[in-house]
Amino acid sequence: MPFYRCVVPQDSVPYEQREAVAQAFTNIHCGSTGAPRSFVHVVFDEHDDRWDTPYFLDGANRAGRPEELKSQLLSDLMSAFQEITGVPSEEYSGRITEGPAKWSMEGGMVLPEPGEETTEWYEHDQRMQGQAAAGG
Amino acid sequence: MARVSFRCTMQEGQIGEETRAALADGLRQIAADLLGESATEVPVSFSDIPSGFGFRGGEPSTTSLVRGAIVGGVAQDVREAILRRICDMWTEVSGCSIDELVVTAADA
Repeated sequence: MPFYRCVVPQDSVPYEQREAVAQAFTNIHCGSTGAPRSFVHVVFDEHDDRWDTPYFLDGANRAGRPEELKSQLLSDLMSAFQEITGVPSEEYSGRITEGPAKWSMEGGMVLPEPGEETTEWYEHDQRMQGQAAAGG
Repeated sequence: MARVSFRCTMQEGQIGEETRAALADGLRQIAADLLGESATEVPVSFSDIPSGFGFRGGEPSTTSLVRGAIVGGVAQDVREAILRRICDMWTEVSGCSIDELVVTAADA
């Protein structure tokens, strides 16, 4: 967590834009919450047409953050997506749902509550970044 | 009908069909051992994230996601036992690192 799923029409967002969106979402999420970068998952889904708009941000976060921060986060994420892809606002909508941190395990550890990440989590984060840099 | 189901999402090309069958067996056995489910009745589904469509920390992802849903919920100590068993089983069967696995056992 967080898990940001970007629902997009088939072949509408090229790889370079997907990568840029993933990096922007990671920067925004970590910048506003302080969460380790490796927590942030971004997936693009071209096979889901259940939503009212052709582009949809379906986010899932750990519960427990202030409402103001949550609404600003959604707004910032959606702005970044539109800036990178050029999708007009009438074709894009989104939401962020929440679940208890203790329902999930990453790296063999139960997720901490927001803001309660210990040094261990940032060490895990560095390990993940090292693996990504090594291509594995 | 089983009160637990599992949805597994992997990055394309990372886990073959034979391994998926063994992972499904492992998940069903864990549900049987810890929740008393009939192993044969536990639904397990797999889907792939195409290459170039999944990212973690802004970089291409190698992470698999296992999402369990437990109807009626479960006590936290049981949930943690389920999560740990899944992590152990998944890394042993698939050969992936513990850092490449996210597991959720949500009340439903």
